[in-house]
Amino acid sequence: MSAGAEALLRVEELRVGFATGDGVVQALDGVSFALERGRTLGIVGESGSGKSVAALTVMGLTRGRRTHVEGQVLLDGEELLGATAERLRALRGEAVAMVFQDPLSALHPFYRIGAQLSEAVRAHRDVDRAAARRRALELLELVRLPEASQRIDAYPHELSGGMRQRAMIAMALANEPRLLIADEPTTALDVTVQAQILALLRTLRDELGMAMILISHDLGVVAEAADEIAVMYAGRIVEQAPTQRLFAAPQHPYTWGLLTSTPRLDAPRGAALVPIPGRPPSLIHPPSGCRFHPRCPYAREEHRRVDPPLAPVPGTPAQQVACLLPADVRGALWRRLAAGATPDEARSAAGLAPEPAA
Amino acid sequence: MLGYVVRRLLWGLLLLLLVSALTFVIFYVLPSADPAQLRAGRSGSLATLAAIRHNLGLDRPLTVQYWTFLKRLVLHGDLGYSYYSDASVRSLLFDRIGPTVSLALGAVVVWLLVSIPIGMISAVRPRSWLDRLTMGGALLALSLPVYWVGLVALYLFSDDIGKWPLLPGAGSYVPLAQSPWEWFTSLIMPWLVLASTYAAIYARLLRGNLIETLSEDYVRTARAKGLSERRVILRHGLPPAAGPLMTLAGLDLGLLLGGAVLTETIFGIPGIGRLNYEAIVHADYPVIQGTVLLAAMFVIVANIAVDIGYAYLDPRVRTA
Amino acid sequence: MARALARALVAAALTLVAALTLAACGSGGDTTAAQIDNGSTGKHGGTLRILTGEDPSSLDPGVTYSSLDLNVLAGTERTLYAYKPDDPAKIVPDLAAGPPQVSADGKTLTVKIRSGVHYSPPVNREVKAQDVKYAIERGFNPHVANPYASTYYGDVVGAANATGGPIAGIQTPDDHTLVFKLSRPTASLLAQATILPLSVPVPPEYAKPFDAHAPSDYANHVVATGPYMLAADKSGKVLGTGYKPGRLIRVVRNPSWNASTDDRPAYLDAIQWTIGGTPTVSGRQVLNGKGMVLGDPPTAAIVKLAYQHHRDQILFVEGGGSRYIALNTQVPPFDDANLRKAMAASLDRERMRIVRGGAVVGDIATHFLYPGVLGFDEAGGLAGPGEDFLAAPAGDKAVAAKYMKAAGYPSGRYTGTETVQVIGLAGEPDDNDAQIVDQALQDLGFKTSLKLVDASVMYGRFCALPKSKVQVCPNLGWVRDFADPQTVLDAAFNGAAISPENNPNWPQLDDPKINAAMSKAEVAVGTEKRAQAWADIDRMITATAAAIPWLWDKQPNLFSADVRCVPELWNQGHCDLAYSSLK
Repeated sequence: MSAGAEALLRVEELRVGFATGDGVVQALDGVSFALERGRTLGIVGESGSGKSVAALTVMGLTRGRRTHVEGQVLLDGEELLGATAERLRALRGEAVAMVFQDPLSALHPFYRIGAQLSEAVRAHRDVDRAAARRRALELLELVRLPEASQRIDAYPHELSGGMRQRAMIAMALANEPRLLIADEPTTALDVTVQAQILALLRTLRDELGMAMILISHDLGVVAEAADEIAVMYAGRIVEQAPTQRLFAAPQHPYTWGLLTSTPRLDAPRGAALVPIPGRPPSLIHPPSGCRFHPRCPYAREEHRRVDPPLAPVPGTPAQQVACLLPADVRGALWRRLAAGATPDEARSAAGLAPEPAA
Repeated sequence: MLGYVVRRLLWGLLLLLLVSALTFVIFYVLPSADPAQLRAGRSGSLATLAAIRHNLGLDRPLTVQYWTFLKRLVLHGDLGYSYYSDASVRSLLFDRIGPTVSLALGAVVVWLLVSIPIGMISAVRPRSWLDRLTMGGALLALSLPVYWVGLVALYLFSDDIGKWPLLPGAGSYVPLAQSPWEWFTSLIMPWLVLASTYAAIYARLLRGNLIETLSEDYVRTARAKGLSERRVILRHGLPPAAGPLMTLAGLDLGLLLGGAVLTETIFGIPGIGRLNYEAIVHADYPVIQGTVLLAAMFVIVANIAVDIGYAYLDPRVRTA
Repeated sequence: MARALARALVAAALTLVAALTLAACGSGGDTTAAQIDNGSTGKHGGTLRILTGEDPSSLDPGVTYSSLDLNVLAGTERTLYAYKPDDPAKIVPDLAAGPPQVSADGKTLTVKIRSGVHYSPPVNREVKAQDVKYAIERGFNPHVANPYASTYYGDVVGAANATGGPIAGIQTPDDHTLVFKLSRPTASLLAQATILPLSVPVPPEYAKPFDAHAPSDYANHVVATGPYMLAADKSGKVLGTGYKPGRLIRVVRNPSWNASTDDRPAYLDAIQWTIGGTPTVSGRQVLNGKGMVLGDPPTAAIVKLAYQHHRDQILFVEGGGSRYIALNTQVPPFDDANLRKAMAASLDRERMRIVRGGAVVGDIATHFLYPGVLGFDEAGGLAGPGEDFLAAPAGDKAVAAKYMKAAGYPSGRYTGTETVQVIGLAGEPDDNDAQIVDQALQDLGFKTSLKLVDASVMYGRFCALPKSKVQVCPNLGWVRDFADPQTVLDAAFNGAAISPENNPNWPQLDDPKINAAMSKAEVAVGTEKRAQAWADIDRMITATAAAIPWLWDKQPNLFSADVRCVPELWNQGHCDLAYSSLK
């Protein structure tokens, strides 16, 4: 955790639960992180890990009769969780902006993109239509939308996926936010377009000096853009580290699973892809002890009872992990896995007797 | 767009032709009664019956009768003569269309004005006591038959037979040109009664649609942009939710313009619905044909108008 | 059996309800709720509003045949002879100057026309005898197609082949004299028939262009001879001014009317019919409002309401017509007269009356001529000819058993195999009456199949169509054309009247003795002779039990508290326009 008093965003022990007919879905169960100005945090996890809920809660978009939120969210020192609806509204689109996953469904199908952009501008600035339109055009050029002066009057369904996403990004940047949250901004796009959008985001961040939270289920996507990565599982952060460090020496078995299940150019030919077995856990009745233990190939009996806290890794305080395995065992396991061993092979090589997982 | 409209209109004409042929066949295969017998009464000798049949052109072969009808209609805009009253069908239709238009249009306005706010409030506060109250009331309103509601309304509020005399009662309709104020007050109860069922349906429909659209991604984006909740609901949530309502309203209006028989009967409004019903009772085929064609025309036009309206509302439809 | 039980329960419930509500009625006697006014006095002025649900069928006097239309025309037109509202049996001169002159041989009828009677604008001129001649001739024109012209004017020399052109047998020696030459001695009948509107004068020079139309357009341009006229524009066009289809009929004073030529007081200034609306609402509007009359028969609920809370606003007028159940005499099982009599004896006619509202709605019928028709008293009056199978209004099981035995069913129950088809009217209270008849059939052991349909289907497809071979039609009845008993009995029971379609002789009675008696009675000369002749025929018909008479209707009429309604006893009790007034 970067201990900066000037952190732009500070989230402390954020807990978010949704009351449903089947019980309370605890989407976030004690999430804490901080983000400084101009820095990018990547949040990675599978669906149900709570990554989108975290982002939406920061924006105040999860408020509702059936939602129970605890903890602290401080934006430049201002507490957001208890803020009035009016104050939140003033901040959204102005101090904090969000880009969503599927621009075709996230942009309103009935209105031209120029109009939607102007609307974003006039929500927070007292300008006339002509001025707002000029600003809209400016923004579209900022995101490098080709033929912006014509496309400004296009409807969302008349643009390609990549152009739509650029338009959405332009809309988020309309009022020069201090923080941009991008929730799976490239998931709905082709691979080649993905790279362009990510490059755009990086460029804009550098040009405008914004802080950014980049959410994805794909480690590869965040690898390029993020300064620091947080890996989430079952509503918690299970590992957090600067990007280089995470890829060089991942500590959590879940992170290993993510890394080994992605095809890599530098892996040995014929090496099998190793998926993470099992399914995401129930958030209403989460597993006892370490939440990952049912799917962890290296779980021990103790892991069923004890819930590990997120703690710094000895030797590298910038990296934190929530795991009960000793650090040296983890190191040994990873060395084997990185070389192409299967989890079983890695486990026996590290001298761990196979114990029945829960 | 122009080509689209022209094509739809041509299709419409073909449909009207089909409808007229069908009406013709139905009337002759399953007649409601024998017009000659009705006109002759019980003392009609066979000779009288034959004379009346000849009079009305009923003794010619069916195909000739239909062809004559078509020729007159297309060449002269002549829909023939009523068997029952000695008036041309066209004059009867022109005479009776005004009240029906007044009734139908007014009812549409009333039910939209009522259902849209109610539907919106219910959607914005789902499962609140207000929502339960309005939706429960709506369920009641659409379950009650309009005939019954109309009679009860008269017995409670009409100024001649009602318990609490408030509004003009049955038979008080006057044309707009004759006296705008009386025209208006005479239609208040019929509008409310006719609109009640529809308002209920539309409120429930809008509530469901709006709850759905308010959970759509683009509404989330709107909120994320920091727009006021009012703007989010009215400009982002309502238009897509109202689209199906508009389609339905257009079709309902088209159907109502063909005549709201029950309301017209109870309130004594001399409209097309009543004309159609009386024509059926009197086996007055030319009038039946006229009212059916008129109703079909309204539905077809309404269909086209609604499609165009929807294309105007939702740009995604235009390119299809 | 469950069906029978259900019906029995329904009938019992109805009996209870009806009996409770009209218990105050008592047993027969004077059942009119308000005293009948004859219009000899009244206040001048005001507009009367009549609420009716249906359009008139035609306002052309050459076509008119329904009671509402007759009511309109009684105010706007003058026939040769007419009835005063309170005397439905005696004809008085209207357009005629004096009583009809029937020759001794009964083949010539001479009528003198009054002078000083003028048409309404735009015709304005004085009425001439030639106008009446043209009016009758146009009845034979297929563009007009008068329904009763051939029945009553068919004996006029030259009428048999008439198609709208001149008829030789109608002569006009001068402008005020009309002479009818007949091929048979039916002049007495013809004299009475002139109360029907075919004898209303029609100006040929004005009407011929309209009559050239198919169908004739004269109804939209009709001119008046009575104290009132249909409102018209300057050219005489009524459509759009005096008559708006589906909306109103408006009748105003006729400026050409000369009160000294007419006995009618004509108190009202104008009369307006409002067309449309539902009977339950209209009934209440009339009862609660001012200056209104209900032009249609009121529903049972409204009759009850009026009888209980507005006793002096409802009149039950005698002479509404007679109701009877027709038994098909041409097909089994009712080709057997004993079975017919058994059925008549077993039927509870009292209950049939109760479900219609009890004693106020009419007298139990014992034969076919009804009060107000000539010959009614000669045929037995209220008590009737005394047939044993009609003696007990509530039915007599013993008499029924006697006739079943005579028919060859000693057990008293029918054991044959036919299923008796019963076709009744849908809608209250007729469907209840049909069910009571159906039940009575079943009690006698008949297997039945009951169908309830609407009126035009009942007549058009079943009861008036001999080839349908329907055995029982319970909801039939007959209203006279005018006071002569021939109009009640001839078409309804003469074998010669049986027709393959639109058949008026529903039981298809074809008794040679009765047919012969009718042929003789048709040509009887003089009202007393005719009354006696037809009364005898009435007895004969009653004796055959071809039809079971059960009710002589009293038509209920409703009006507002400030209306002095003078009911036309000859026309269903409609308030006569020229005699009624406002208080």
